Amino acid sequence: MTDLSHIRNFSIIAHIDHGKSTIADRFIRLCGGLSDREMSEQVLDSMDLERERGITIKAQSVTLHYKARDGKTYQLNFIDTPGHVDFSYEVSRSLSACEGALLVVDAGQGVEAQSVANCYTAIEQGLEVIPVLNKMDLPQAEPERVAQEIEDIIGIEAMDAVRCSAKSGEGIEDVLEELVRLVPPPEGDVDAPLQALIIDSWFDKYMGVVSLVRVRQGRLCVKDKIITKSIGKAHVVDSVGVFSPKLTKLKELKAGEVGFVIAGVKEILGAPVGDTLTHVHTPDVPAVPGFKKVKPQVYAGMFPVDGDDFENFRDALSKLTLNDASLFYEPESSDALGFGFRCGFLGMLHMEIIQERLEREYDLDLITTAPTVVYEVVTSQGETIYVDNPSSLPDPGMIEEMREPIVEANILVPHEHVGAVITLCSERRGMQKDMQYTGSQVSLRYDLPMNEVVLDFFDRLKSASRGFASLDYSFDRFEPARLVRLDVLINGEKVDALALIVHRDQSHQIGRSLVEKMKELIPRQMFDVAIQAAIGGQIVARSTVKALRKNVTAKCYGGDASRKKKLLEKQKAGKKRMKQVGRVDIPQEAFLAVLKVDT
Amino acid sequence: MTQRLHLPPLALYVHIPWCVRKCPYCDFNSHQAGQTLPEAEYRAALRADLESDRILAQGRPLTSIFFGGGTPSLFSAATIAGILEDAEELIGFTPDIEITLEANPGTFEQERFRAYRAAGVNRLSIGIQSFDPQKLARLGRIHGGEEALSAVGVARRAGFDNLNLDLMHGLPDQDTRGARADLQQALDLGPEHVSWYQLTIEPNTAFYNAPPVLPEENSLADIQASGESLLAEAGYAQYEVSAYARPGRQARHNLNYWRYGDYLGVGAGAHGKITLPEQAQILRLWKTRLPKHYLEKGKPSAGVTEHSNPFMAGQEFMEPQARPLDFLLNALRLNEGVTAEIFRERTGLGMDALEPQWSELRTLGLVGSDNSRLTTTALGRRFLNDVLGRYS
Repeated sequence: MTDLSHIRNFSIIAHIDHGKSTIADRFIRLCGGLSDREMSEQVLDSMDLERERGITIKAQSVTLHYKARDGKTYQLNFIDTPGHVDFSYEVSRSLSACEGALLVVDAGQGVEAQSVANCYTAIEQGLEVIPVLNKMDLPQAEPERVAQEIEDIIGIEAMDAVRCSAKSGEGIEDVLEELVRLVPPPEGDVDAPLQALIIDSWFDKYMGVVSLVRVRQGRLCVKDKIITKSIGKAHVVDSVGVFSPKLTKLKELKAGEVGFVIAGVKEILGAPVGDTLTHVHTPDVPAVPGFKKVKPQVYAGMFPVDGDDFENFRDALSKLTLNDASLFYEPESSDALGFGFRCGFLGMLHMEIIQERLEREYDLDLITTAPTVVYEVVTSQGETIYVDNPSSLPDPGMIEEMREPIVEANILVPHEHVGAVITLCSERRGMQKDMQYTGSQVSLRYDLPMNEVVLDFFDRLKSASRGFASLDYSFDRFEPARLVRLDVLINGEKVDALALIVHRDQSHQIGRSLVEKMKELIPRQMFDVAIQAAIGGQIVARSTVKALRKNVTAKCYGGDASRKKKLLEKQKAGKKRMKQVGRVDIPQEAFLAVLKVDT
Repeated sequence: MTQRLHLPPLALYVHIPWCVRKCPYCDFNSHQAGQTLPEAEYRAALRADLESDRILAQGRPLTSIFFGGGTPSLFSAATIAGILEDAEELIGFTPDIEITLEANPGTFEQERFRAYRAAGVNRLSIGIQSFDPQKLARLGRIHGGEEALSAVGVARRAGFDNLNLDLMHGLPDQDTRGARADLQQALDLGPEHVSWYQLTIEPNTAFYNAPPVLPEENSLADIQASGESLLAEAGYAQYEVSAYARPGRQARHNLNYWRYGDYLGVGAGAHGKITLPEQAQILRLWKTRLPKHYLEKGKPSAGVTEHSNPFMAGQEFMEPQARPLDFLLNALRLNEGVTAEIFRERTGLGMDALEPQWSELRTLGLVGSDNSRLTTTALGRRFLNDVLGRYS
């Protein structure tokens, strides 16, 4: 049996802005993973979008070699985790490959709700959690208070937590020392049959499918014939290796190690995340218990502006789902928008990111409809159905009862903003379940309709608390509610893609705000555009976009046709991201108008 | 389905690229003139340019010539006469050729009108723009209201029986009453033709960088509607988006553009369009833009030959798929549109090349239902950019 005592597999749990990427960069520098010249800022957030938004979306890994003070060299495998509430699912995935996790907390700001939730996930999965107080260089750092807060809220010992500053580099070595001392080495029999968990897979244009795996037992070598437990199709391993953080090829990956596998898998579904890899001749190796699959929380229709793009769109979605198993999609056809897909997302940020990736990486021009949660509907025949699309809601006469999803939300907020946050929660039909004063923060627990939370609650919470409140939530139950479908009519025609499910008490108010907002968002056209909101056939609000009176270029120098063509091209660019419904051009923003109305 | 291209009539555009001062709304190829203008050198360059383009005429005489600018009336009548002599010698004229010259209504230019007429110019296009001194100042024009009023009389006495007045509307602080008064003054002078067009702010102009406050959209539409009826009452029929004429006095040179006729373009930055039936091609070509560069190419050492034009800055063949837009862009500006026959002969395409958009536009009531004509309805004329947008 090979000695695994020098291996440490770990993750970092941290809220956005608490300095995870900067710490990771420090580790890489300290262990000589990259020269200064190669060190571009925040190596780990490699997707363009991640860098622009300053967040981590996808799991990534880095293997580093650290010479500790005990004179031994340790192999550190760092598996990165996303920090936003929408992506908690990816966190549990990364954690399943580790024996320990660093809980990085901003010594000035204190604990945030998302980190609390991720910490519990780590503890449940049996990981050793090591608290680290970062940003000690800031004058407002209060390590004693924050350590107390960690103990009060999370319940792990934190008084002796390592103090460091990723920005100045101070204390970084101490962090690595604690890591080596406290995180247990992995266990696993190198001579047993191969069993490896696929943590992540992504599609590379040149290499095909690349999978990040944690080898539980056995060895994975180049030229091995392997299968995945769920699919069973054999593939030959082209290469294995680690990211250091440069892609470094090795001869093999052994039990306890984390690294990549490329096995000439061309088809997108060849290496599903969460699946187990083994050799062709040991198909009976048990599957590693994966991680729980989460269901999407928010659904929206996505339609190509140009109907000819439908097949490209399908292709792009299948590529994206390879490494984003939380993205759900199925074909949808709309009277107004034609053929597209009903897509399920973890939250609004996830939805925005997917739309942006589809447009940037796959050059698609898409219209996204207003997002909705899933409702449970009992029909008059006594059947229970789930509705993720307002237009597929049965007629009111066919509905016995409608139930909406309720989440349990945990909010941490500094004392001075607790009033504003409570007001926000009650406006959103929340029920307070608990309120605890801990250190300088108040811990609130609320039951809230999911519909009120997923759309813009996070943003409102941030503005109600000057950015200090943090939120974590999870689905709890369905509860009966007085819900109605709000239809929107454009020039007298009901537009299925604009329908919403809303609470009856708010329906008229939303209807009025919605038609006013849409009036601002729909450009003037050749004719008047009447916008109406209706509930069960009864019009509750109306507005009109007055017709333009003309659109013609006055003077044209006859000889030079290129000027006129340029002008038309400009006009055409302005119509991008607009969909023609009947004769009316409706821009993307108008489909999402509900996100912009005040209720 | 493609068919053989027919050779349409041929016109000539001559660009004179200098002005006393550049107007803040102007995005044409015009440049502030120095102390003296290189008239003789420019005429020589134009001749060389025309010699090189001669082959493109394919034996056709010119049906019209248009001197545009810039300010062509900065050139002496002698130079204009010389350019016309060159054109007649190299290409040839039809007996009833229309020869238009754009003129500024300043006192200095008015003194030349008689000589222009004698040189062979038979139509004058006077850039009045407005009669309101304040508006003229705002537009950066160098002439005053008085000069604008006197120019027509001078032109008549010089022997011009075919006059166009260029007039703008939708000017800063202009209301319907002001615009009507301006237009009425123009009509009182009794021109044969009026170009009455709305001021628009174009990129690469002074107005673009420091935009004036223009009347809001509803006022602009009111001005348009009111002016159109005023023109109609005075006997000027609208035949193009911004062009109005007394019977039989439509601008033949412009009609040729709008009907997808051919034209040679000589001078700095001039554009030409030529049908080549043998190659089944339609060619658009344009010349070097800066006057300085244009003049340099005209020097004898530059080596002008018959088959390649050294003045050319670029050319583009209109491929069959680009032709519907290229054609409609011009043709649909005409109230009467064009016949289906002209479309087929001058694009080499069948009517099916306009589908499916043409049928959709018909359903929307934007184009006419007569299968033998390509024309917009009154609604389609008001929304011409939306109609053309379907083909871009």
